[in-house]
Amino acid sequence: MSLEWRLAWRNVWRNPRRTGLTVSATVFAVALLVLMSALSTGMWEKIIDDSVSMGSGHVTLTGPNYLEERTLEQYTYLDAPLATRLGENPAIAGYAPRVNAFGLLSDADVTRGVMVIGVDPELEKSVSSLPDRIKSGRFLEKGKNREVVLGGRLAEILGVKIGDQVLLYSVAYSLESAYDLFSVAGIMHLPDPALDRGLALISLADAQAFFVYGNRISEVAIRVREADHSASLAEQLGSSLDPEKIEAHPWPEVMPDLAQTVVIDKLGMYLMLAILVIVVAFGIFNTILMAVLERKREFGVVLALGLRPRAIFRIVYLESILLAGVGLTLGLLVAIPLVLYLQANPIPITNSEEMAAAFEMVGTDPVIYAKLIANNPILSALTILLVALLAALYPAIRASQGKPVDVLRSL
Amino acid sequence: MLRERFSRLPNGLEGSERNRRILQALTILVALFISGLALDGSAADLQPPPPGSDAKEIARRAEDSLRSARTTLDASMTVVSPRLSAPRVVRFQSWEERDTKRSMVRILSPAKDAGTGFLKLHPNLWMFVPRVERTIRIPPSMMLQSWMGSDMTNDDLVKESSTLDDYSHTLLGLDPSPESNPELPAYVVEYIPNEDAPVVWGKIVAWIEQEHGTPLQQDFYDEDGSLLRRMQFSDVRAVGERRVPYRWAMTPLDKEGHSTTIEIESIVFDAEIDPSIFTKRNLRKARR
Amino acid sequence: MLSVIRLAWRNVGRNPRRTGVVVTAVAVGLAGTLLSMAIFSGMMFQMVDNAIKTDLGHLQIHAQGFNKDPEIGLFLEDKGAPEIEAIQAEAGIQNWAPRIRGEGLVTSPSSSVGVRVIGVDPDAEAQVSMVSGSIVQGGYFDQKRRLVLGEGLARRLGTEVGDKIVLSVQDLEGDMNGTALRVGGIFRTPSAELDRSTVFLELAPAADLFGMGDSISEIVIVGHSRDAVLETQARLSAALPDREIERWDELQPLLASILSVMDQMASGLYLIIFVAMSFGIANVLLMAIYERIREIGILLAVGLSRGRLVAMVICESILVTLLGLVAGFTLALLALFALSDGIDMSLWAESLASFGMGTRIFPVLTPADFTIPTTVALLTALIASAWPALRAVRLRPAEAVRHD
Repeated sequence: MSLEWRLAWRNVWRNPRRTGLTVSATVFAVALLVLMSALSTGMWEKIIDDSVSMGSGHVTLTGPNYLEERTLEQYTYLDAPLATRLGENPAIAGYAPRVNAFGLLSDADVTRGVMVIGVDPELEKSVSSLPDRIKSGRFLEKGKNREVVLGGRLAEILGVKIGDQVLLYSVAYSLESAYDLFSVAGIMHLPDPALDRGLALISLADAQAFFVYGNRISEVAIRVREADHSASLAEQLGSSLDPEKIEAHPWPEVMPDLAQTVVIDKLGMYLMLAILVIVVAFGIFNTILMAVLERKREFGVVLALGLRPRAIFRIVYLESILLAGVGLTLGLLVAIPLVLYLQANPIPITNSEEMAAAFEMVGTDPVIYAKLIANNPILSALTILLVALLAALYPAIRASQGKPVDVLRSL
Repeated sequence: MLRERFSRLPNGLEGSERNRRILQALTILVALFISGLALDGSAADLQPPPPGSDAKEIARRAEDSLRSARTTLDASMTVVSPRLSAPRVVRFQSWEERDTKRSMVRILSPAKDAGTGFLKLHPNLWMFVPRVERTIRIPPSMMLQSWMGSDMTNDDLVKESSTLDDYSHTLLGLDPSPESNPELPAYVVEYIPNEDAPVVWGKIVAWIEQEHGTPLQQDFYDEDGSLLRRMQFSDVRAVGERRVPYRWAMTPLDKEGHSTTIEIESIVFDAEIDPSIFTKRNLRKARR
Repeated sequence: MLSVIRLAWRNVGRNPRRTGVVVTAVAVGLAGTLLSMAIFSGMMFQMVDNAIKTDLGHLQIHAQGFNKDPEIGLFLEDKGAPEIEAIQAEAGIQNWAPRIRGEGLVTSPSSSVGVRVIGVDPDAEAQVSMVSGSIVQGGYFDQKRRLVLGEGLARRLGTEVGDKIVLSVQDLEGDMNGTALRVGGIFRTPSAELDRSTVFLELAPAADLFGMGDSISEIVIVGHSRDAVLETQARLSAALPDREIERWDELQPLLASILSVMDQMASGLYLIIFVAMSFGIANVLLMAIYERIREIGILLAVGLSRGRLVAMVICESILVTLLGLVAGFTLALLALFALSDGIDMSLWAESLASFGMGTRIFPVLTPADFTIPTTVALLTALIASAWPALRAVRLRPAEAVRHD
């Protein structure tokens, strides 16, 4: 056996050109697989990230039944121990308590029904992109009372500008009428037309006072550091909280439509990866086959010298595996730094203004972003190893089936 | 996305179940028409009605017994809900003119809401909020919002509806001693809504006092025959020719701890109402 | 030159093994690339289609101002007659349907929920949206005075097929108006939002309810192809200057943006697949030519000119690649044919199984999709054969013959 290893090893280095071509086939295969899955992971992470930062975070804590009913009656609390726990959890990048309610916003004769969200001006920034959506004026500030930030179309419909006073009217949790004047501090530009004409933000403190809500809240939006930890974090939080009072939902429960799109797209991506695997598998197979067939004369000679076909099979197979191993290692050595580089320095998309506008609309930087998750290179390498093991089989069999006469004929 | 949440409030027509129920019951009240209703008497206790009794005629009397061309009313409304540590009491005054479809409601207490007024000038509804001195036109989609946190909607406030045409009526019998008012014998009438009538109930069973047509109790059933809510009228007093229940209590039977009660302090039928009552200028005149 | 081609062609036939390997490499690479593109386009198409078929359509016609602030008071008179005339003059329009769109409150004995109310012409609507095909209980307007609503909404209301509900809206005059309807059908579409917040009823009762008379709120249009929508929009806008005519991506800019971001990402993925394909091709061609260096040396030794030799090698590679392309196209078309019923994504993801048609991806290829992979393959073949060929002919014949 060790003789065969040595022979195989020597053969590998005997023809650097052939070796180079075979190895590079594997290098490319691994690198492309790693790159492709990193790009697709990166893309979805970004879309999800952008979506949850316009919504309720990666994980949402709510009172029981809130997701079904969404009225003031389904509330929960963010008490100090829970806030501390959220703040100290290393998986959590930020959390923000909110009050969500319905109200009437009126200026003179124009009145519109709006979704009123009470947010903590500071904490909100750690979770959502709403504070970045200001197109004029500014976002809410801590310590400033009775200010409101409006969607662009809503401001237009009401005919108000920065500094104007609008009347907010609703029914408080205590069942009494709630009304107060708020001054317009900022106007946002929101990509969703329904939100742009129906969203008003006030401070959490104002909302709790306005709706006579005590220290109740509707939800806590949580931003996680690693998007794919959303489900496990929700489970972990959920199991440690009293389900009678508070529930933890990962984003797919809050945004089933997006979750469904992601699932479809991921499946499509797997299909494309599978096709890519087939393409690179054939590349490896063809290269090994070529390399072996090219050496027909050599195998004929050694057969003629009395080496048994099984030994030839083993030597050739070992050679291929060695080459694949080298290729795999090199491939990972190329791909991982490349992906890490792309992760740190996303590729800017500068080819069209239209594209830039589209990205801006989604509220994200116009870049292609790659994201490396640990099992991606491992899976890619294992796949290519398997492919190489299978691909080398046939060429090795062919090599061992050579006939000594071939040597004569090919001379 | 926010849209997920937002979609639940297309334009904010959100009404909780509790709200809707109480509201619907109160509808009848505040707008001052109403037909009488009563408890679920077991059919076994019923006596046959006097010959010649007509169910529809009885229903009409019940409806007429609480309304007139112009009505003014002082009343208080008490809402009990598990979310309130103490019942919430709202006192209000109302003026209504039926043929012009105009009405005005003014809140008297609690102090925080005192002076708030609602003016319905068909088809618009205006609200005046004295604390910020603003008048708002309540937009169309808002008409279904709960009124003053009660279980009445703004629409209930301004609806002019008749229960007569929407139902077919069957006289079930005569209850010599209804549960809500044992001393007042009452007809028991079953109201079955017409197929296209805007009524969700499967049926309503009403107790209507025999002599004056005063509503005593109404039981609301769904189409499967489950009793979902009950409205009881009591404290019946003579007002001119009429006999008027001064206390109206609505209880949803599938929700614990909820009820809404209206207690009339004074009521005047066929009242003289100064037309200037129904003006936006009057609306803005907060009498605190 | 012709003789070079003939010689090259003979060489192609002379070594079927080598030719076979190269043809396979090209064919698999090309077919894989085409299939990936087809699947990705199909996926994008399906996502847009899902959006369009929920209730968006390709184009919607409204009165001015509707998109900024949709009010029931902004309508198209006379059942949209002038608009329909303009639509009928358009060749690119496949189907259209009139709608009344407003807001209201649905009340059941146990609950009430604010909803979007959409009045539809059942037959026309079936051609533009997927609601008719998504009924999971009951029927689609098979009886009068029926209402069709989503599964999520039915759950919130606690109603089932056959139950009575009351629909209340504010009509054009500002009056509250209610009517009783029975639940005729319950639908489940890929859009949870639609399922949770929308009721459909027939146009006539909707018009009665809103007091709209002959007016409608919108006409929704589905065109023959998405690409022609832009032109159709321009022509309709010219024909109907005082109407808002908006595309699906203007009505749902967020969705449109997500899709274009995905599209952009896709070009990165295409690049990767192209690299994989060209690499596969280049590798085998390089191998195939190096393998023949001895042969080339012999040919040089017998006096074949270098230029002709290079031309012959390149010509051979191109010929083999062309064969591979033909095989690749055939393979891709066969695969597409096999997948012409669509790839049912719900087979792999149980969570999708309940969504029906929205999860089936139909791979699509346009003629334009063929040009880039073909060009890339041929260019690769040219470079991957010219380079080693040029190197080979520079060797001294003796050296070449000794070459391993």
